[in-house]
Amino acid sequence: MDSYDAGSLPSDDNVNAYSFCLDLTHDWFLKRGAMIAYYGDARFDPLSALSSASAFVAARFSSPVYAQEWVVVSGAGKVVVADRGHDVNSFDLDAGNLTVRAGNLLAFDTSLELKQSIVPGFLTLLGTGTFIASSNGPVIFVEPPFRADPEALLGWADCPSPSQHFDAAWMAASITGMLTGVFGRASGEERQYDFTGSGTVLLQSSEQTRDDPALLRVLTEQTQVLSPTQAAELAGILQARAARA
Amino acid sequence: MGAFEQVNSKVVRCPISPQSAVLSRRGAMLGYTGDVRFRPVHGQGTGLGGAVGAVMASESAPTMVAEGSGSVLYGHRGLHLTVLDLRGEGLVVEADRLLAHSAGLQTGVQFLGQGGLRNVVRGAVTGQGLFTTSISGTGSVALLSHGGAFPLTVSPGEPVGVDPQAYVAHTGAVQVDLSAKVGWREAVGRGSGEAFQLKLTGSGTVYVQASEQKL
Amino acid sequence: MPYGRLMAVLHASGRVLHADLQGDAIRAASGSMVAYTGQIEFVHAGVGGGEGLKAALKRKATGESVSLMQCRGTGRVYLAQNAADVTVVDLTADTLVVESDALLAVSPGLRLDVRFAGLRGATSGQGLATTTVAGDGQVAILSDGPLIGLSVSPGSPVTVDPDAYVASTGQTTPTLVSGVSWRSLVGGGSGEPFSLRFDGTGLVLIQPAER
Repeated sequence: MDSYDAGSLPSDDNVNAYSFCLDLTHDWFLKRGAMIAYYGDARFDPLSALSSASAFVAARFSSPVYAQEWVVVSGAGKVVVADRGHDVNSFDLDAGNLTVRAGNLLAFDTSLELKQSIVPGFLTLLGTGTFIASSNGPVIFVEPPFRADPEALLGWADCPSPSQHFDAAWMAASITGMLTGVFGRASGEERQYDFTGSGTVLLQSSEQTRDDPALLRVLTEQTQVLSPTQAAELAGILQARAARA
Repeated sequence: MGAFEQVNSKVVRCPISPQSAVLSRRGAMLGYTGDVRFRPVHGQGTGLGGAVGAVMASESAPTMVAEGSGSVLYGHRGLHLTVLDLRGEGLVVEADRLLAHSAGLQTGVQFLGQGGLRNVVRGAVTGQGLFTTSISGTGSVALLSHGGAFPLTVSPGEPVGVDPQAYVAHTGAVQVDLSAKVGWREAVGRGSGEAFQLKLTGSGTVYVQASEQKL
Repeated sequence: MPYGRLMAVLHASGRVLHADLQGDAIRAASGSMVAYTGQIEFVHAGVGGGEGLKAALKRKATGESVSLMQCRGTGRVYLAQNAADVTVVDLTADTLVVESDALLAVSPGLRLDVRFAGLRGATSGQGLATTTVAGDGQVAILSDGPLIGLSVSPGSPVTVDPDAYVASTGQTTPTLVSGVSWRSLVGGGSGEPFSLRFDGTGLVLIQPAER
């Protein structure tokens, strides 16, 4: 077993494969619940409570749907973050951009800017700095062209946002495949995210995703594009699905 | 022949070619490159695609086949993988633990345990995982386990006792007996009534997982 | 062969513990045996002292498994639980306080004392048990992910999430910490409303996962 004190804990580096130590020499955005231990005088402020002097920091977090799940940590000391025993990795962006599954993002430099991706449940980080993300099993890096199970997808960098690929043969061969068009995911083989162009695709080692409580809010927001009649129709479909579940 | 390549503890990369298709648990594909087509398999034969296997091991997962040319990444629920390359030696594996295998391998259903029909039936009722798939031929197999599987050598005079819930698979000329044993309840600590153990004798290797949780 | 004279040695490798027995006995969590070789008997061994009967009743009430078995004989026994990581801690005239459900096995000669409620229980009111292990020997501890030791010294306390806390050694005093800043971190939903601050001198063991 490895033992540490405030001085010997790594500075902005992994403690082991499943935890990471943030050094409060600079401020971090931190997801609620990700902190498992800290030394020193750490301050945790909700984004809404930041004084006007720090408002420019909060302004870099451009996703009101997710803001309530995040705080800014500042002060002096070291903060250890983890995510239910999942693998934890840090990623350095240098004037770059990377889109990551919101449920897996644990912390990021306040120097980075955050925006909501057009793909529901994903967030895009822009600029220069470090962010920390968890994954179920180690991260696998692949290059396009590549088709990913949407559930196994952790994120992507530099390449265009994915399009959806439907496997016609699968749909034809599988009766459940015919239903998935209406009722959503069956097993993942009937629908993939198709990546093209140049860049990097990040996969986690499992098709099991982390719960993302904000995803419902994101999708609800998106239904604004529906007419009242369409919205009522969607309500009917969802009710039928809930009744079968 | 495309041997499976273990990417990390939880993911395997399987090459697909016109000569080597891969059978897998449905829903376990994480991503792929190349011209690969997936097709659900509905119960012909035995093993992963087997109607017999599916009925026997009632919780057995539905199956699909990957054909064409390219490579596919497989993983399932973050469970650990053990990849074995078979060259004629037989493998017996609990049916639910098969993630993927070369389509060229022959599979069949086997009852695990020689404790007589009464024990087999009792075991089935208590869910002690008696229905296994036996695999023979040449090719690769990827097995699922909770927390990783470790090999234990079985040799004459050195039998191994295993918690049926922790049993994953075995190779070689090994006889498996299912028996109820006094004191076993303390060791495995589940349910009421008799507790079972697997006693493996002969010579070969048994794979045991680091957990008493069935998949 | 006199029992208890020979030391059973605990070896952890990742998520599996094995103990080589030469006629002696270890105590381990009931149900944790996954395989064995040789001649080994498994016998119920209570909850490990302390508030024995009360502990057993409480265990039934909470559905928590804190009962122990004795593994005695000659051979090797393999122990594991829920694919949790296993760490062996050597105690030399020291005391280890561990959440009872994280205790996998102890070598002979150690004294065990079970109490309610554990530190997690204190913050959440879940009524969990804590086991105090004292003496000279080895303790095998379960954790979700590898254990991390955080040392505590005068002037340098450590604050931990009660959901990640597993055990502590030495002379440390836990205090429940609340406060506006802390509450903003855990939010209104899930998670503990308190954090645990350890002062004194010793080591606090945490796992990289919240239960």
